[in-house]
Order: sequence, then C-alpha cells, then structure tokens
Amino acid sequence: MCKKVLIMRLVSVVVLMVGAIAGHGQYVGYKPVANLPVFRNQFAEESAKVMSIASDFTQEKILVALTEKITSQGKFWYKRSNKVRIEYQKPFSYLMVINADKMSVKDDQKESHVNVKSNKLFQQINRIMIDCVQGTIFESADFTSRAFENDKRYLLEMTPVSKTLKSFFQTIVLVVDKRDYAVVSIEMNEPGGDKTTMTFDNKVLNGNVPEQLFNL
Amino acid sequence: MLKPTQPAVDCVDKIIPLEFQTGWYDAGVEVMGKHLSGLVLIKNMPDSSIRVVFTNEAGVKFFDFEFKADNTFRVHQVIEQLNRKSVIATLQKDFELILGIPFRTHGIGSFMNDDELFFGAVEKDQTAYFITTKDCASLRRLEWRAGGKRMVTARIVEGSYPSPEQLAITHHTFAMQLTLKRIPKE
Repeated sequence: MCKKVLIMRLVSVVVLMVGAIAGHGQYVGYKPVANLPVFRNQFAEESAKVMSIASDFTQEKILVALTEKITSQGKFWYKRSNKVRIEYQKPFSYLMVINADKMSVKDDQKESHVNVKSNKLFQQINRIMIDCVQGTIFESADFTSRAFENDKRYLLEMTPVSKTLKSFFQTIVLVVDKRDYAVVSIEMNEPGGDKTTMTFDNKVLNGNVPEQLFNL
Repeated sequence: MLKPTQPAVDCVDKIIPLEFQTGWYDAGVEVMGKHLSGLVLIKNMPDSSIRVVFTNEAGVKFFDFEFKADNTFRVHQVIEQLNRKSVIATLQKDFELILGIPFRTHGIGSFMNDDELFFGAVEKDQTAYFITTKDCASLRRLEWRAGGKRMVTARIVEGSYPSPEQLAITHHTFAMQLTLKRIPKE
C-alpha cells in the first residue's frame, strides 16, 4: 500500500507543478491562443531558460460538497533537470524531495524512500512532472491540452488521457506569467468537483539553489 | 476481568462521547510496517450525519465516508488501492468508535475493574466501551472488545471530547496504529 500511496503523492506533485484553473471550455478573461504551434515552441524555449526556481507557496484545498477548506503554506524549489523539493510548513510539516529516479517523503513521524524506476506508473508520473517544469508537457502523450491567453498570462488546460490519471484529475491547469513564463497559480480539479489550488509568491528564477536541498 | 456494576447514570450522562466537534486532523497511519500520512476532516453536517474525509498533504483524496444520522454508512469515494471490504470495514469501525456511534442507540451496560468504570454497548459480536476513571472525572479511552479481548483501543492523548487535540487508535489483533492531531483553526 505504501508504494501506491507514494505514487499518489507523486501524482499530486505533478498536479501542483502543472497547476490548474477549473473549467469546461471557457475561461473568463481568456481567449484561445491564436497560433498554438508558435506558442508551444516559445513556451518550450522560454521554459528551457529556467535553471532553478525558489518560491513560497500557498495551497488551498476545497471540499465543495462539505463547504470546507484548508489552507497550507510552504516553500518550493526546483533545479534543472530533475530535482524538486516541496516543504509544507504550516499548519503541518511535510517534506517531499525528488532527485532523479529517487523520491523521499517525511512527515513528523517518519521518512520513506522510494526508487521511481521500480514502478512503471512512477516512471510515467516522473516523466510528466519533468515535462511540465521543462516546458515540454505539450509533447506528452499523457494529456490532451489547450492553451488560452490574456494580456498578462497564459492558461494551459491539461486533460489526462489514461484511466488511472483520470480517476484522480478531471483537468490540470497551469497559469503562466507572460513576462518570465513562471507559474503563477495552480488548480487541480477532481472528478467529484473538489479542487486544490496552489499559488506561488516571492519567486526567484535562476537564483542559487543549494544542491543539499535535494539530498535524500 | 470486568465485573457488572450498578448503572452509573450520572457518569454516563457526563462522559458519554456522543459529540465530536468538526475539525481537521494531521493523520499518521502505521499498518503492517508501512507508514502513510495525510489530513483527516471530521465534519458534522446539517442533516446530523458525519463525514470523514482523508486526503494526502497535497490534496489528493483517499476516501470520503458518511456516517448517517440513522446509523447507516456510505462510502462516497475510496481510491482503488484502499477499496477492499476488510480495509473499509476496519476504518469504519475505527471512526465509529471515536465518533461514539455505537453509544447512540444501543443499551449501555456498566462494568468496573480495579480502578476504572466501563460503559459498554453491544454491537453484533463486539462491544464498544467508553472508559473512565473510577471517580468519573474524565474519559480515558474507548475500546472495541470481543469475548473480553481488546480488539481496538482509542486513547485520548491530549485534550478532551468533544474536541480532542490528539487521539491514538491501536489495533491489538494486527499491526495498525492511527494517530490524529487536531490542526488549529484558521
């Protein structure tokens, strides 16, 4: 059960890194990107310039039917090409580190390690995650995608193709700042209508991100 | 060995854990040597049902259970990996115990041992107990027992009902422990 739960955590990471704004078809204030092939290339090119990210984040989980939400805060780091650290600090402590094919999670009771290579689904999710960060998600066979824009932002809507990912997410949407192609906010939409939103603040792109942050 | 004793109505009225205040809990589960963590929401609904939702820290939902006012149980959602009859039944009984559901409708018997009072409600082949000090000062723990043998113990580690700060649920017949720590309200 532990490995499967870790897979779900990895799925969550993918979601959080991709970001989302819910919706079927229309996004208020956005229009479809006029020239999608050009945008795809541009997105990949600009994302390729991001070597590291350090950011604060605020995550809000909303349970629609129960009219409940919980807000958590923490810090996020990414280092090219395959290192991620997500550290929840309030109101609970939880740490997730991904370094190439290895992943560890640590709560206030225990630390667990897993080799991503040991599981096909892990490999798939790891690939999606890296595609998202590196701007190559449009080429992923795991999602169909649509792109929208306004004056300041791009909005990328990803719909999972596989049954497994579909059981977790209806859509995953990424909102990107047009100035630096950095992620602004994230929203993950579940099939039942609940959603998780992650908003990034105080972003530092291409700053010094110590290697030790990704030690497992 | 528990000995039947005179019904202590005043103590039952004072201690019986029939209410559980809505709240989010930081949860950790140890099961058969494996560990997982997440967040548990226990919510009293307007229709007097209680919903229990378990998500991981990043927001992915593991299960969503409903304990209805008429004492029936409904699974609104459960992930494939936990969708086993035995797993759901175990989780159902654990949460029924801490929510005090067996004490809602069943007759409550009074028992004692050397230094504690036991109040039990029989449900099929098991009995749910809430256990107090002899002077009925506070609720110490809750238990499922079968044939006098402890099956599950829920200890109130910190705080008290209806809003315990920390609970530890231990299974005595297989290796499983669930801990719940209340997350301060925003």
